[in-house]
Amino acid sequence: MSGISVQGLAKRFGARTAVEGLDFDVRPGEVFGLLGPNGAGKTTTVRMLTGLLQPSAGEARVWGHSVRTDGEALRRVVGLLTEQPGLYERLSARDNLRFFMKLHELDERQVWPRARSYLERFGLAGRENDPCGGFSKGMRQKLAIVRTLVHDPKVIFLDEPTSGLDPESARTVRDAVAELAAEGRTIVLCSHNLAEVERLCTRVAVVKGRLLAMAPVNELRRTGSALEVKVEGEAERYVQALSALPFAPNVLAEGARLRVMLADEAQAPDVVACLVGAGARVRSAVPAQRPLEEVYLELIREGRV
Amino acid sequence: MAFRSRRALAVFWKDFLDLRRNPVLLLGMAALPLVLVVVPIIVVWTYVRDPNDSNLRVIALYYDPTLPLNANAGRFLVERTLLDWFGMFLVMPVFVPILISSQSVAGEKERRTLEPLLASPVTAMELVAGKSLASLVPALIITWMAFVLLCVGVDVVAWPLGQGPMLPNTLWLFGILVLAPLFAFFGNGVAVLISARVAEARTAQQIAALIVLPLVGLVAGQVAGFLHAGPVYYAVQGGVVLLLDVALLWASVRLLDRERLISRWG
Ligand SMILES: Nc1ncnc2c1ncn2[C@@H]1O[C@H](COP(=O)(O)OP(=O)(O)O)[C@@H](O)[C@H]1O
Ligand SMILES: [Mg+2]
Repeated sequence: MSGISVQGLAKRFGARTAVEGLDFDVRPGEVFGLLGPNGAGKTTTVRMLTGLLQPSAGEARVWGHSVRTDGEALRRVVGLLTEQPGLYERLSARDNLRFFMKLHELDERQVWPRARSYLERFGLAGRENDPCGGFSKGMRQKLAIVRTLVHDPKVIFLDEPTSGLDPESARTVRDAVAELAAEGRTIVLCSHNLAEVERLCTRVAVVKGRLLAMAPVNELRRTGSALEVKVEGEAERYVQALSALPFAPNVLAEGARLRVMLADEAQAPDVVACLVGAGARVRSAVPAQRPLEEVYLELIREGRV
Repeated sequence: MAFRSRRALAVFWKDFLDLRRNPVLLLGMAALPLVLVVVPIIVVWTYVRDPNDSNLRVIALYYDPTLPLNANAGRFLVERTLLDWFGMFLVMPVFVPILISSQSVAGEKERRTLEPLLASPVTAMELVAGKSLASLVPALIITWMAFVLLCVGVDVVAWPLGQGPMLPNTLWLFGILVLAPLFAFFGNGVAVLISARVAEARTAQQIAALIVLPLVGLVAGQVAGFLHAGPVYYAVQGGVVLLLDVALLWASVRLLDRERLISRWG
């Protein structure tokens, strides 16, 4: 069975619950985002899915291997890029890769060409024999990505691949991930960076100790909607009246424009009626898509701390 | 889970390569053997320099009041020194693996290389086996090399005593070939277990080094004349360390698993 299926997965460290009640599936070839703030339990989840931590409850299967009982078989089919690249700095790039080839009991001569083709594509060709202690952060991260690929894993877990990188290196790493996605690889990407998830992922789960939402990225953006209203004069003066509505929508005023966040489109007539009642002359009222950031922040606020 | 020696050997290969590129650690490893070889040679040399010095007899009588009048005090003292130093020399095979294993287990945590490693198919036991090998092999090579240097040095310096080479003798060979590996296993086992519980290599090294203190204490007792070290004493010491080794092995198998290794840094 291919793909990943997660049911009721939870992890507790002593009395503290890192994450609980996780349910999701990842289809083969999909780039699945785990989006959430620091401490949301992303790393813990990935550690459970790669057999590093035993779940406290629930079950998950990765390419048919149970994370509870098939640890060794599981680790043969997954590749994990950890939050820190974790390279052996005194060893050359090549020896770092060779070590993992040996751990996977692979024949170096057979797998080296593939590793080298990735090194070339990620701009690391020619540096194979240099100790990677001298590499820049971006280079290290890309080498670590190549390391997660030496055994041609069925699924790769990328835990915050661009955090701590300068914008330039972050972009080259993102390009590298996009290349892997284009190859049709199955990827689980952890991130607290919305733009990154938006660019790379097809589907996203928002987590914060538990699953807050899960949807294709462009659908998530449509979760809830907004109404963009143009009035005559300063829009600012109607904010108060709108906030007094029973469903107390979030309102942004800018010049003659009002942006009113709605949980439901059915609230739109009430908004217009309220404005008219407050003496506003409404020029236009059009539905708008909420920026993903807004949806995300709202989900996170609702989520448990 | 089957034990795959290929994966254990991969760990050994990587650690050995890493050690060869670590000049600070290599220097630390070389310092102790150097002292342990040079000091006894100098001591032997002071005894041999003037065999008719009457002070030698006074010192010899302090160690052994029953020393016959016609005995060669210089030779007696040289033999006595080598016997006492033997215990000191055995600190080396304990100490060197502590240096290496602390670096290689706690060091992997410290540098965040342990997590990618544990995400590979390698089992905790293979990991420990590979790392232990990477610490025992250098430790024994160093011990044996130091021993060869000591033999050559002592024999050259003690040549004027004129009764053939003083080293190696049976006791030393027993120590170097039997006790040293047992001691090395002990030092390594302690360092690995401690490294698994602490976050930094330095901490692991310091705690593990504490276990060398009793050994040094025993040697001090010997030199001061409280303990009468001889073949039986060392055989008993070997037996005790062998038991400790078995206990350590048992503890390692029970205590080292992936989750424990990874969880101890939160
Ligand atoms: N080994 C551990 N022991 C105790 N608590 C932990 C451990 N690992 C993680 N946690 C806790 O679990 C929560 C989730 O952490 P983590 O999975 O690292 O979140 P994220 O990767 O989303 O930032 C945090 O509150 C963290 O402190
Ligand atoms: Mg994390």
